[in-house]
Amino acid sequence: MAKNNNNVPAGRRKGMKLGTRNTLVGLSFIAPNFIGFFIFILIPVAFSFVLSFMKWDGFTEMTFVGLDNFVKIFKDQYFVQALGRTLYYAVFAVTLTTFAALGLAVLVNKGIKAVGFFRSSIFFPYVASTVAVGAVWRQLFMKDYGPINAFLQLIGIENPPGWLASSKWALPAVIIVTVWKSMGYFMIVYLGALQNIPQELEEASALDGASKFQHFWRITFPMLAPSTFFVVLMNIINSFKAFDLIWVLTEGGPGQATTLMVNYIYNNGFNTTTPKYGIASAAAMVLFAIVAIITIVQFRVEKRTSN
Amino acid sequence: MKMKKILALALSGLLAASVLAACTPAATPSAPPASTPASAPASTGGAEISGKLTFSVWDLDATGYLQKLVDAFKVEYPEVEVEIIDTPSADYTNKLGVDLNGGAAADVILIKDSDTSYSLAQKGQLEDLTPYVEAEGIDLGMFNGLASNFNFDGKQVGMPFRTDYYVLYYNKDIFDAAGVDYPTNDMTWAEFEEVAKKITTGTGNDKVYGAHFHTWQALVENWGVQDGKNTIMGPDYEFMRAPYEMVLRMQNEDKTIQDFGTLKAGNIHYSGAFQSGNVGMMPMGTWYAATHMQKVDAGETDVTNWGIATIPHAEGTPAGWTVGSVTPIAINAASQNKDAAWAFVNFATTSAAGTAVVADAGQIPGSVNDELRAIITNLEGMPEGAAEAYAVENITLDRPYVEYVNEVNKMLEEEHGLIMIGELDMDGFIEKITQRSAEIQAG
Repeated sequence: MAKNNNNVPAGRRKGMKLGTRNTLVGLSFIAPNFIGFFIFILIPVAFSFVLSFMKWDGFTEMTFVGLDNFVKIFKDQYFVQALGRTLYYAVFAVTLTTFAALGLAVLVNKGIKAVGFFRSSIFFPYVASTVAVGAVWRQLFMKDYGPINAFLQLIGIENPPGWLASSKWALPAVIIVTVWKSMGYFMIVYLGALQNIPQELEEASALDGASKFQHFWRITFPMLAPSTFFVVLMNIINSFKAFDLIWVLTEGGPGQATTLMVNYIYNNGFNTTTPKYGIASAAAMVLFAIVAIITIVQFRVEKRTSN
Repeated sequence: MKMKKILALALSGLLAASVLAACTPAATPSAPPASTPASAPASTGGAEISGKLTFSVWDLDATGYLQKLVDAFKVEYPEVEVEIIDTPSADYTNKLGVDLNGGAAADVILIKDSDTSYSLAQKGQLEDLTPYVEAEGIDLGMFNGLASNFNFDGKQVGMPFRTDYYVLYYNKDIFDAAGVDYPTNDMTWAEFEEVAKKITTGTGNDKVYGAHFHTWQALVENWGVQDGKNTIMGPDYEFMRAPYEMVLRMQNEDKTIQDFGTLKAGNIHYSGAFQSGNVGMMPMGTWYAATHMQKVDAGETDVTNWGIATIPHAEGTPAGWTVGSVTPIAINAASQNKDAAWAFVNFATTSAAGTAVVADAGQIPGSVNDELRAIITNLEGMPEGAAEAYAVENITLDRPYVEYVNEVNKMLEEEHGLIMIGELDMDGFIEKITQRSAEIQAG
């Protein structure tokens, strides 16, 4: 309603204060987004919060069980293992993606030949379909006939790892694909930031006798801090949410070697004919708490350092 | 339903009374006639059953014979209107659960994941068919031992509509090239293993593998439960040792089958493996025959010279014992028209006309017998000898319909992967599945 009145000159409207009208106009602008958020995110999240204190299989009546679900999951060795694996995955995926993205951005920022080609080819994996990427990498990682192991044997490694067919190497393999797939996007983020650094600074530091490395470490890197903050934060969140790529690559196997938190939640809530929505929701709440805490801490640190 | 019966009773009583009244002017109160019209089994006359019926199925495009089944039913029961409710297979089980809870489910339902029958029955959502079966005088023995799987606490909650079981597919060209006799219908697993060695030839890309085990844990575990003495629920899992030892021997020592890790990593589908022509024998479900016939028909495989044998058996298990699964058909306990629903279920599972429609589509009816088997194995494109291969003695279910079966199955899938890639040894494997299964079943 308010929307329709937008073009009516302010003076002509009766019985409505300018402030109220502005509020309504504002609300009408955010409404489409907010309604979607409300229905598809806020309500389900709130419902999941409630469910984490319930025992429910989706059919029979819900029963309130207090903190039982939380006690249960922390006593469940498979949950604790999944949590441990998620942390392992997050630490490596975040660090490696951030460094790879930064390194690549610095490389393609310079006037090397065919820079456009390199930029797009690094960005491309990010756009590619996860399912297709998973299918291709599964072939690359094949133990006996895979190109990766063929290469490793060529350079003299006699017993190359079994990759996805090995509990020890499956998660590292998944991390490699994750880094490869996501580094392009974060490279673009860094690239934007790099190009905003004034050229004069480089000239000035060169005049003062700084080496290339000193220049990068003392000037460029600190100036990239806001981007680094964004890249690391997004990567952490992505790591804790990681599911699709892993599902296509290994379905959480072999055994449970690549079963991370979301996979655990999915197995309990959906990948079964006897769903345990309470357990799945409790695990989701733990996941939410972890991500929330990390985000808050990071914001605090970021604020302090930028001040 | 009760109202209808009473009404029918009253009407028939009135009718009888009026007849009597016409005969004897002096209205003698007569005993009401037996309530035959109302409670008569459906088979006594289709005309008496009427009303509207809904029938819930999945992927009707791919299961067109269900429409034919409904059409055939209408010929016998012209007064019954049947509406098919189609749901994509991926959503079917979920949707069925939700619909049954909400009271919106169809009258007659096909249960896609048959191991969910137990939980549906526990919730009281499936009608007890025992009274109908008794009234009809049906001998449940006609279902080859499958019917008892849907009998929970003395209540028969479903009828075996369709079944599938494991047989052995083989590539005749490979046998001919090696000069080895084709597999027989009374082969043991030990003989199977030996034959696989004999027909394995070549190396690298030209290698011909004697056999092929798809990556499902069922392809190993089934041979442990084949004799019907054990189930995947354990609690003791020693019976898994022999089949795992055999398959691991074939994979690691004889190298007569493709490596599990490679199959898994390459996401290689069993049909592709068999159709590529470098696999001698493949244990797989009866459902695969239709797929292979289509491929041959479309000229998409070189394996046109193929055969089917009965699945091998272990020493001590009779020949002709196999492992399979079954799709039950059931009546929604909340159905408003149970008599018509029963008429349909009965028609689909026990009548000659109904089961023939199913067999005609290459599907095996739950009540399969020699006649129906002949229909299936005489279908155009079926290899010679299929009739003998399909003539099994006993079908053991791959999974029992009990609580926690899904959780245990999921666990077995994980551990199966680990033993097949060599990360668990046999003792460690048995120990681990015994322990995890006990944990799961403790609730």
